[in-house]
Amino acid sequence: MRRYIGVLFAVLVLFLTACSGKTPLQEPSNELTHIRLPMGYIPNVQYAAFYTAVEKGFFAEEGIELEFDYAYETDGVALVGANELQFSIVSGEQVPIARAEGLPVVYVMAWYEKYPIAVISRSELNIQKPEDLAGKRVALPGLFGANYVGFRALLGEANLKESDLTLESVGFNQVEILAAGTSDAVVVYVANEPVQLEAQGYDLNQILVSDYLDLVSNGLLTNETTISENPDLVRRMVSAALKGIQYTVENPEEAYEISKKYVEGLEDADQEVQMGILRASINLYQTDPYGYSHPAAWTNMQEVLMKMDLMKKEINLEEAYTNEFSQ
Amino acid sequence: MKVILKFLKKVGFIILSLAVGLILWQAFTTYSDIPSFIFPTPFDVWEKFLSVARDGSLLFHTLVTLQEVLLGLTLGLGAATLTGYLLAKSRTVERVLSPYIVASQSIPIVAIAPLLVIWLGPGIFSKILTSALIVFFPVLVNTIVGIRSVPVELYELMRSLQANHWQRIIKLEIPAALPVFLGGLRIGATLAVIGAVVGEFVGADKGLGFLVNVGRGLYDTSLVFVSVFTLVILALGLYGSVVFLESRLLSWKKRE
Repeated sequence: MRRYIGVLFAVLVLFLTACSGKTPLQEPSNELTHIRLPMGYIPNVQYAAFYTAVEKGFFAEEGIELEFDYAYETDGVALVGANELQFSIVSGEQVPIARAEGLPVVYVMAWYEKYPIAVISRSELNIQKPEDLAGKRVALPGLFGANYVGFRALLGEANLKESDLTLESVGFNQVEILAAGTSDAVVVYVANEPVQLEAQGYDLNQILVSDYLDLVSNGLLTNETTISENPDLVRRMVSAALKGIQYTVENPEEAYEISKKYVEGLEDADQEVQMGILRASINLYQTDPYGYSHPAAWTNMQEVLMKMDLMKKEINLEEAYTNEFSQ
Repeated sequence: MKVILKFLKKVGFIILSLAVGLILWQAFTTYSDIPSFIFPTPFDVWEKFLSVARDGSLLFHTLVTLQEVLLGLTLGLGAATLTGYLLAKSRTVERVLSPYIVASQSIPIVAIAPLLVIWLGPGIFSKILTSALIVFFPVLVNTIVGIRSVPVELYELMRSLQANHWQRIIKLEIPAALPVFLGGLRIGATLAVIGAVVGEFVGADKGLGFLVNVGRGLYDTSLVFVSVFTLVILALGLYGSVVFLESRLLSWKKRE
């Protein structure tokens, strides 16, 4: 019996030891560093900048072999926070929320300059500014994520509360909901749903969050350990991504063609709509200068999140982001 | 005395098993160096439980999900029993409907849940329907098996006693089919919880599925654990209720 207990104990110890072991970042000098990058969404032409950076060899030039991972955004952030992964693509609001929960994550490169959320409605309803949303039925994917944060920021700008309108959580079905007319307005990604709806002949009014408030948008996330132990990797990662962004801005048609290799079904999709989505995405890109994150956008974001009770405590924003690697 | 000892022994083993589970969980989280936003300690989860229990949010979301589950279970049960009876009684109806029923079972509920939100709106009905849909098949199959398992001799006996259609259903078919039917209900009751949560995952602003989404969105893994454990307790409670129902309704079977 004692022998069995001993064996069981040994197995348990081995299991716990295995779990505790963090895999150190292996970087043989002559081999590429393999990076798994959570993108936060399904394969999409919106990621053309990264597909292009891989295909044009910008990552390989920096000694990086990139693997795309289309897991949930929050899973990617949690894995970066736990140092299981080194990088993730992330929407700006996730960084203060995660840091307030104790995740040591750091935003190192702005990809989008403008916050990509908008409230859209059929033009005949004449909803043109946030104040016009009072008393309306508004649908959004859920009470979480960029859609909710952007929407609440707009309400705040109009001094409206959630109780001043009817809010409906409908999942990612905004196009169908607006087409069916069951809601007056829907909260969407600027570069996606409006392009699809306009292609179907809908005449839309759009209220862009970025027209009212400067908020931190999509960018590249890493963690404190990677910055302190391997700053060169961060620099190389940012450099390759920025080259991809710049190349896509300058050569959208080529970037679109490259995306076909990564996005299943893009070849057979409505080319005009998909190209429209890419052009709308490029309009959101960071261009002045590439990769730079504006301090005011971070302050605004923290204020919005605190008002929404999505953060228990204020964080030191200087620890949440850095422009050191993008300059 | 013997009965009490037997009961204590039974409960003692359950408590011991839970205690060992908690100790292993605590040891794992302590020695593995995994941060709490990836895998919280039992203590973190307990603290979160107390916090959401105190502010009433856990009870509110639990009642929402329970309402969806009970309504979904009722709808699924009713539809499956009626269809099951028709299918068991008529080979023609079975031939006509079975391709649709079997095909519907190969569709993952998560794939059609977003469509239900579009068709029925984001309110409670889409969650009730996802719950009912997932309950439907096991109850249907067991209803068919139960009705068809009634021995032919008993039908002949009822005929010789000149029983009418309703007497045959109430005195023969329902009691004879009940053991198998309740077996289906056991599975259906636990599946009903999954169905409601799938509906809440797609689009909801209340319910335990919504609470899981909130926990994930805020990197509050303790909240995810509290919601999941509450769902487990909900499913176990429903399962226990069916077992209790079985013991009451099938007491004649034990006597046999």
